[in-house]
Amino acid sequence: MHEMLLHSDGCDMISFYVDGNLVEAKKGQTILEAATKSGHYIPTMCYLPKLEPISSCRICVVEIEGSDELILSCQTPVVEGIKVTTDSKKLFEYRQNILKLYDVNHPLECGVCDKSGECLLQNRTLEFELDRQEFSAKEEKREIKRWGLIGYDPSLCILCERCVHTCNEIIGDDAIEIATGGYSSHIKPKGSDELDCSFCGECIAVCPVGALVSTGFKYISNSWELRKIPATCSHCPVGCAIYYEVKHDGTLDASEKRIYRVSNDFEYNSLCIAGRFGFDFENSETTKDSSELSRAVEAFLKADTIRFNSFITNEEALILQKLKEKRGYKLINSEAYIFREFLSELSMASGVSFYTGSVEDVKRSDFILSIGSRIYDDAPVVGYAINSAKKLKGAYFGYLHTIEDNRIHPSKFVKYEVGAEEGAIAALAYVILKDKIVDNRLQEYLDDLDIGYICSESNISEEELESLAKILKSKSSPILIAGSDLYSHKRAENIARLLGFIEKHSNFKVLLIPTSTNTLGVSLICDLDKEAGDYVIGYNDIGDYRLSSLGDGDLDMPALNQQEGTFTTIDKRVVPTNAALPYGGYELNDIAKELEIARENTIDYTLSLPRKSGYRSVGFDELDDEISKDGVDRRGYNLVIEEKDTHFNLQKIADIDEYNGVVVYVSNPTSQFSYMTNRARLLKDQSSDLEGSEQFSIAAKIEDGDYVSISFGQYEVKKVFKINPKLKGVVGILPIFDNMLSTYLLPSQYKYQKVEIKKASLEKKVEEN
Amino acid sequence: MSKVVFSAWQNELIDNREIQIDNWKESSFKFPYSYDKDCEARAFIGWNGVAIFDKNIDVVKLACEYAYSYQVYSEACGRCAPGRFGGRVLFDILDKIARGEGERSDIEFLKSASMTMMNTSKCEIGRTVPKPILQLLEYYSNDFLELIDNKKRSKEYENSEKNYISKVTAPCMDACPAHVDIPAYIEGVRDIRLDDSLRATRQTMPLAHTCGRVCPHPCENECRRANLDEPIAIMELKRLGADYEDEAAGEFGWFHPYPQKPYRDKRVAIVGSGPAGLTGAYYLAMDGIHCDVFEELPVLGGEVAVGVPEYRMPIGKYNRDIEAVRSLGVNFITNHRVDDEKMRDLEKNYDAVLVATGTRFSKKVRAKNEREDMKGYWPAIPFLDEINLYTKYSIGKPIDLSGKTIVCVGGGFTSMDVVRCSIRANAKRVIMLYRRDEDTIIRNTSLEEYHEAVEEGVEFMFQTAIEEIFDEDNVLKKLKCNKFEMVQPEDGGRPQLVAVDGADFYLDCDYLIPAVSQDADLSHLPKEWEIELTSWNTIKTDSKTYSTNREGIFAAGDCEYGPMTIVNAVGQAKRAASVMSRYLQTGKITLSSDEIMEDHLRKLRVYDKKEKIGGWLAGMEREHSRKLDVGYRKDKNDEVNFGLTKEQAIAEAQRCMRCYYIAMVAI
Repeated sequence: MHEMLLHSDGCDMISFYVDGNLVEAKKGQTILEAATKSGHYIPTMCYLPKLEPISSCRICVVEIEGSDELILSCQTPVVEGIKVTTDSKKLFEYRQNILKLYDVNHPLECGVCDKSGECLLQNRTLEFELDRQEFSAKEEKREIKRWGLIGYDPSLCILCERCVHTCNEIIGDDAIEIATGGYSSHIKPKGSDELDCSFCGECIAVCPVGALVSTGFKYISNSWELRKIPATCSHCPVGCAIYYEVKHDGTLDASEKRIYRVSNDFEYNSLCIAGRFGFDFENSETTKDSSELSRAVEAFLKADTIRFNSFITNEEALILQKLKEKRGYKLINSEAYIFREFLSELSMASGVSFYTGSVEDVKRSDFILSIGSRIYDDAPVVGYAINSAKKLKGAYFGYLHTIEDNRIHPSKFVKYEVGAEEGAIAALAYVILKDKIVDNRLQEYLDDLDIGYICSESNISEEELESLAKILKSKSSPILIAGSDLYSHKRAENIARLLGFIEKHSNFKVLLIPTSTNTLGVSLICDLDKEAGDYVIGYNDIGDYRLSSLGDGDLDMPALNQQEGTFTTIDKRVVPTNAALPYGGYELNDIAKELEIARENTIDYTLSLPRKSGYRSVGFDELDDEISKDGVDRRGYNLVIEEKDTHFNLQKIADIDEYNGVVVYVSNPTSQFSYMTNRARLLKDQSSDLEGSEQFSIAAKIEDGDYVSISFGQYEVKKVFKINPKLKGVVGILPIFDNMLSTYLLPSQYKYQKVEIKKASLEKKVEEN
Repeated sequence: MSKVVFSAWQNELIDNREIQIDNWKESSFKFPYSYDKDCEARAFIGWNGVAIFDKNIDVVKLACEYAYSYQVYSEACGRCAPGRFGGRVLFDILDKIARGEGERSDIEFLKSASMTMMNTSKCEIGRTVPKPILQLLEYYSNDFLELIDNKKRSKEYENSEKNYISKVTAPCMDACPAHVDIPAYIEGVRDIRLDDSLRATRQTMPLAHTCGRVCPHPCENECRRANLDEPIAIMELKRLGADYEDEAAGEFGWFHPYPQKPYRDKRVAIVGSGPAGLTGAYYLAMDGIHCDVFEELPVLGGEVAVGVPEYRMPIGKYNRDIEAVRSLGVNFITNHRVDDEKMRDLEKNYDAVLVATGTRFSKKVRAKNEREDMKGYWPAIPFLDEINLYTKYSIGKPIDLSGKTIVCVGGGFTSMDVVRCSIRANAKRVIMLYRRDEDTIIRNTSLEEYHEAVEEGVEFMFQTAIEEIFDEDNVLKKLKCNKFEMVQPEDGGRPQLVAVDGADFYLDCDYLIPAVSQDADLSHLPKEWEIELTSWNTIKTDSKTYSTNREGIFAAGDCEYGPMTIVNAVGQAKRAASVMSRYLQTGKITLSSDEIMEDHLRKLRVYDKKEKIGGWLAGMEREHSRKLDVGYRKDKNDEVNFGLTKEQAIAEAQRCMRCYYIAMVAI
């Protein structure tokens, strides 16, 4: 299809004057953006850089030479040569007048407001020298609301609309709206009385006043008593920049060593529920007892295997690797193992050492396909990026999965059968590559694909493929998100190769979602083994001798909010995290030292992360750990990406296994990534039930509220079953965060499992409690 | 011209307070000094000033009521700080003065709050409301001071007999025949709340897909942004909400503007399922009235279905508009021609009838030897029927014009559709003959339409008309054409088209397609009903209630107005539905106060072409939608216009200045 493309590449620069200084701006950039970027100050209230201009507060008005009236800087693009004045007596008066209006009847009890000290209204009221409330109006009764983790006080609300826009433009929940009513306007759950959302808490973060608050933070600290410790969220591979907030030394209860809340650079970035509310998973009350350390060393001397998961830092992973090199341990981490295999097959096909997509690329895409991931649960922030692309760029989003997910409102949901991932990827490769490719063998391979057969096996219709192909023709920046269902598939090897060829021969970028926080790091740092030996050290995992950051093992270990170190994120970036809380016990490095692997501190290993895998020789203390003032993530560094030789080795598409009977999908909810989030006080109430549709309930012969036993071969878990009316189809969803259920116990790594479900007696449940 | 005691409107100031009535100066504006036929107005107050007709009116109360009307408006808005709080403060202070509790310092507060609102409000409504209030404070300052100094209540403060009727409008809304709340649906795009956007459109315009694509957008001629740089792409922004609902494929259901009322025991028959019929059915059904819609053709949608081609108005999209109507429980009966006998039945069996039969007879070009039975003489309506029935519904046979030369006589949208369809039917040569010049054809259609037709290879012959048609054995062969030129008469007056001597020429052709205009087929109106007709043979109504001279029979759309736009038919039918709904309730033909105000404001005109715009920076370019490349499109029926991309649409929506105004009449 030919098209007239009228958009330029957006690089044209124009210049204008701000307070007499020549300033450059990108075409389309607003006066406020360009002026702020060049270091000029224009006061704002409703403006948030991550949103489209809201323009409700009107404080950012400026003067422009030749225009008698004031111009709103947040929504007005720069025009070549204009002369802008950001401050004058006239502007001061207008801005002051607006604040007088904002201050009408605003309660004066700042002393008991959680926002006091970081309140934008407080700051601007002082800035514009207002010491009294000049105007007043008849007050009305306004009811304080509590919506779970979120509290709302309408009498403090200034109706800036930041929360509403963030919820819609960024998060995609679109769960709140303005109940319009002039002076009595307020925020309300959209189309209902109860808030039905993912409780990411972004509305709290962006609220400039104390109207939207975290109910868990209410009245527990003044903001000025808190100190921000820059860190990286440890719950998922996105590795969002966060601040753990603890008390300043010298405050009244500084001795109380706890994290009071998590905050972030909300002007530019967003967090999910787990990142914001799942922060208090530390291993407290630990001490050093040298006899315990001796017992640990004894166990290590006896052991031939270390089993661990990917909720660890790069440095700890390197210590484990050093231990292997020194003492010949087998290193067992099955999810990182399969991820490494997958990535290596993919890069052999694509000719690049990593997948090339990033979360930013998703935001910039105009055509997004996701396959093999329940994306809002695997990496919610990737879900936000998809939402932004959809809302702001009009991106098309095709969601391919076995289970419909009504939270993400795809442009098109393409359902495939459990086990049909290889066929689905082959069909996509066919759609994407059929008219493009230069490689004859690949051409032949695609020509030989029996698309009709693949479609009927996978239950994807050919019309669906044709419609994707048609829409794709008018798109220029497509991305394919390939999730963890694929890495554990028995045909993972061929799936990875197909993805690699898509990446190599089309303009598609591919983005993998590493299974957990540091899966990518572990897979790059550790030389992992497939089979365990006889005596196993379990590090936060099952073993004969257990190291645990939950405090339930043979030797305590620090939790991730008590450690310094780095993670390797989904964006192939090495980012630092810092210890928010002290830790009194031993660390992995203490054992390593006993075993004669001598580095003083864990972070001394940062410098030695393997260069062959793309790490750089940068020491921990040299790593940048901030988000710049204009929102650029400057944390750490990007892995070095290398070109590789490619091999053509595609295999025929295999027939799919039958998944008849009762099938569950092993997946944790958004609020719960792991045993860490499960420990958090504010997330305790989150459901860990087995969920399924009405149809699933019939197939499994269980009813809503039943207490059931779910068995996978040898292994068994017990759960309450809930019918989720939003689910469709015959696959149930089984969260495992609360069971410490190491996936290696399952018959295979594949996220779909055939299970037997029986009703279990309720007495048993009481007993267990 | 209006007789006023006092008026300050735009730049005109008339003050007759101290002048003998015989010497009064008249205002040049058409103020609503008569509210309706039974009621005189006492004053009119609005965005541009104030006009006093009754010298005894209580101006403090008038100011207070105007501020109150703004507060009521902002009750429905409250989207910016100056408006939200300022509106409240403004009213509170004025009310305090009117109650007799004001202080002199309140005047200063009032002025200061007004200045903040006028300079920083988000919409024009907040910026303009203080204007007439400040004028009253200036010209009637004694009235205010007297109350303040004597702590006196204003004389009409507690008089509940005095009525104040207010109405929110905007230049674009005023210009739109359907009075669509354009700023609201644009705000929905700006806020990326496309559900809200579509709901705003559907308040008065159910055909959002259609009028987001093929509306001639008279609103854009009265867009205030044009005073600054270029008008907003109003029409194309409408499409986003409709496409959003379509793409969500029923996930959220239909975005109707408000909940449908429960069905009551009233039934209306609607004759014709074109834009007017659909619109009438939509709003009647929203009001809980059963509707049966009778359609002569096998397909629904009237001229938009069988007239407007697929490449301009994809039938899949139009069907969504139709389905939105059907979703309310409207019953459609196709293949059912209503004749006079049936009309008598309808009158008997239904509580009211809406005639919306359009104009489906192509007019003749008035050339010598013009005969409908001549082979090759193919009027536009049947021509387009055949093309569209096949391409959209696979009814009939494909039209193949390979090797043929087509001459179309026209100049409006229908003729554009004819020539561009002929190109797509593979005609060898396609010629458009038009009596007037290029500028006029662009004005009567649109620049885009003309440009696209030229791109696709249509030959335009301007200032040309057919004098005679030649046939051989009743097969059309050749046309004799005259050339015209514009001549300015010596005595002044309008320029006239005059035939140029010796410039006649002959055109060989296979088909002549007259597309000059259409007539209504009114043969279904029973003779004995003696329905009054206009001099151009359409059904006569008062153009306000759309009630005919026979009780219970209403008419809207082209059969009432003559061949006109889709949006005109929608506007008429929406009004007719509203009148019919009240008629079914009360037995009386009435207008709502909102509708009365709508008509008054249209007479006064809301848009001021000469107004200088402040508070906005000129130079933000209008966004242009992407079009299908001509090489690709000219032999296909794919939709030509991709519409604005999301990014373009958001940028375009941010150009909108939200020119809402409040007008109020005191009676």
